Amino acid sequence: MSFVNSVLSAFRRELLYLRSDRLYLSAITLLPIVMIAFFVVMFGGGTIEGLPIVVVDRDESEMSRKLINMVNATRGITVQYEALSMDEAEGYLLDGSAVAIIYIENGFESKIYEGVPANIESYISGASISASGVVESNVQQALRTFSAGVSLGKLQDMGVNYNQAMVDIMPINFHIFILSNPYINYAYYLAPIFMFMGVVIFTVLATVFAVGRELYYATAPEWIQSASGSYFAALIGKLLPITFAMILLMQLVYGILFIIMGMECMGSYLMLTLASVLFIIAYQSIAAVFVIITSNMRLALSLGGGYAVMAFTFSGITFPTESMYGVARTLSHLFPLTPFSDLFIDQAMRGIPVEWSVWKMAELILFMLPVAFVWPRLRRVATDRKYFSRD
Amino acid sequence: MNNVNCCNIKLYRLFIDAIRAEFSAIFHDGGALLILVFATMIYTVIYSVAYGREVVTDVVIGVVDDDRTQSSRRLIDGLSSGPNTTVGYEPISINDAEDMFYHNDIYGVVYIPQGYERELLSGRQADVGVVLDGSHLLLYRQALEQAAADILTRGAEVEVQRLMAAGVNGAAIKGVVEPVVYESHLLYNPSLGYGSFVMPSILVVIIQQTVLIGIALVGIKRRNAMTCLMPLTITQSIAIVFAKILVYIAIYGINLVVILGVIWPAFGFPYAGNTWDVITLLALYIVAVVALGLTLSHLFRRRESPFIILLWSSVPILLLAGLSYPREAFPGWLYAIGELLPSSSAVRAYVDIGTMGASLWNVRGEIFTLTVLACLYLALAIILEKRAIVNKKWAK
Repeated sequence: MSFVNSVLSAFRRELLYLRSDRLYLSAITLLPIVMIAFFVVMFGGGTIEGLPIVVVDRDESEMSRKLINMVNATRGITVQYEALSMDEAEGYLLDGSAVAIIYIENGFESKIYEGVPANIESYISGASISASGVVESNVQQALRTFSAGVSLGKLQDMGVNYNQAMVDIMPINFHIFILSNPYINYAYYLAPIFMFMGVVIFTVLATVFAVGRELYYATAPEWIQSASGSYFAALIGKLLPITFAMILLMQLVYGILFIIMGMECMGSYLMLTLASVLFIIAYQSIAAVFVIITSNMRLALSLGGGYAVMAFTFSGITFPTESMYGVARTLSHLFPLTPFSDLFIDQAMRGIPVEWSVWKMAELILFMLPVAFVWPRLRRVATDRKYFSRD
Repeated sequence: MNNVNCCNIKLYRLFIDAIRAEFSAIFHDGGALLILVFATMIYTVIYSVAYGREVVTDVVIGVVDDDRTQSSRRLIDGLSSGPNTTVGYEPISINDAEDMFYHNDIYGVVYIPQGYERELLSGRQADVGVVLDGSHLLLYRQALEQAAADILTRGAEVEVQRLMAAGVNGAAIKGVVEPVVYESHLLYNPSLGYGSFVMPSILVVIIQQTVLIGIALVGIKRRNAMTCLMPLTITQSIAIVFAKILVYIAIYGINLVVILGVIWPAFGFPYAGNTWDVITLLALYIVAVVALGLTLSHLFRRRESPFIILLWSSVPILLLAGLSYPREAFPGWLYAIGELLPSSSAVRAYVDIGTMGASLWNVRGEIFTLTVLACLYLALAIILEKRAIVNKKWAK
């Protein structure tokens, strides 16, 4: 039998098994789709809006009311409560009803009229960073607008004409250009990496299960025989259904991102597709290594599952790898998700020249090499019965 | 022996035997041992190593200075003085800066056009361009904050100079340049440490996920080897369920003492909670989670099922608590579904108590939800435990 026929034979055998095992079939179809759908719904809004805050207005003046209204008019925050004291306001923070307090001092309005700087304080809960960043920037934005209005009025009172007053209150006009994600859409930033992580988890678990079950149920000799004794053909044939399913899932993810969520692909779609194929094969190779080394499906599922979940942390999306401890930076190179997420950002969001992403592709290929080192062991564990049915 | 002999046995004996059997089942099963005893600690250490550095500082930016004057140099010095950013490069053109940006050498560019100083000195408005990368929000936010603060400070200095030149007196200048003085205080996590923010939530979710997978592993193995085929009375079923809960409280109690007593201080994560409040909350949480685990374990027939069904849900479960991603940003119905999981209430309550120093009274809503969930899942676990023993007759 030729090599191709051997692969096809193992492939057909795997397809037959897939049809008979609903759990296995779900792991490469239904469950990843459910997970992807979850992230679409979770991040579909794209922006963080309406975070509840408390205001302690000790001044209760027209000016303080105007400021509160300006704060309330920002997209990110909503003045949900007005408390009479700081103690009462902190109660809202402690029971999770609000994420920040804005304190307006007594005499706020009179100080502004007298030309004396008035104080505004904010107390923002750092227990949720994603919320605190939004609150801080929105409060600052409202205060800048409010202060500019006050300054403009004062300059005009001094006899400065409107146009010159506008220049004087902002002598340096800074223009912000945001590349890659111009509307700071959380969906574009978070949804891709979460979806990729979903694909990673199911690729690893399904691969471990596909190889591991041959040892657990002592069917490994039959599996190798199905490929006419070629271990390489047997492994490729076995893993191909998972590879195809996951490539389709990656295309589904891209479709969701670029069509449904409206993210613009700034670079090469072809390169993203090629990278996704390498990405999946890289994870399959590593998952196979877990089974071959442990020769224990359950242990390999534990280790492989943990490895797959941790990839998200070390990808540097939520917390940049450059800011991690040295040991964590080193660990980040052990996960194919790290170069793949870099490549995705470079191609899909930053639109960098294709040739500059080739190194990331090469990194993904490197993850396929470890399986060569455990190849002799595969021959042993697939034939020696002492490695079978371990639990 | 991994199985409890429940035939004609006194209740207290059954309870003691069930405890022994559960411990024995865990410690004679490598998989369960790894998941239930070691995984919580291993995961906590690994995540702490990743997030332990806490704060992103010195984001490298480039400055293209086409003005090359004293004023532009002053602006660059401000951007370079940190702490959020550092000026790593001064490319000679925007094209060079673009190359550096593509190579990830810089995360943003400040462009000072020719004539910047001239505009300032002539009383006109000078322009500065700030180009930032929005593909990484933490880096973007740090760079934006620093750039905006430095440019606004420099702008205020220019404004003061202009007003002084116009003969406005010092007191009036203050009221024009800075009519409102803004002070921002960060509570509970003053340095906005990423680890301090995310680790408490991760710990709570790890406890739930390891309990659910571990109990399922133990349950499947035990059921597959079940010897007692006599139906249990409801009292016996209750005794067995509570015996198991006691076992997991002991295992996770020891784990948590090490995690909160050693790992937490080692990485400097905040802990402001009253010890008894934390113990009460976590004990209630573990009861609810173990009861849920015992309930779910009856759904699985194969040892690989818990991994494939439960493992992927860890991150969605973390998000459903509404802290790592604010609850206001996703649909209410999704948040409501998350409330069926003990972890959602526990994450919020634990962060409130452990990080913010809230009391049990402050988190009474979460405690109430956890109690309801614990009762619900306990009732289900007891019923299923009783039925499972009877149902094993088919296995014979």
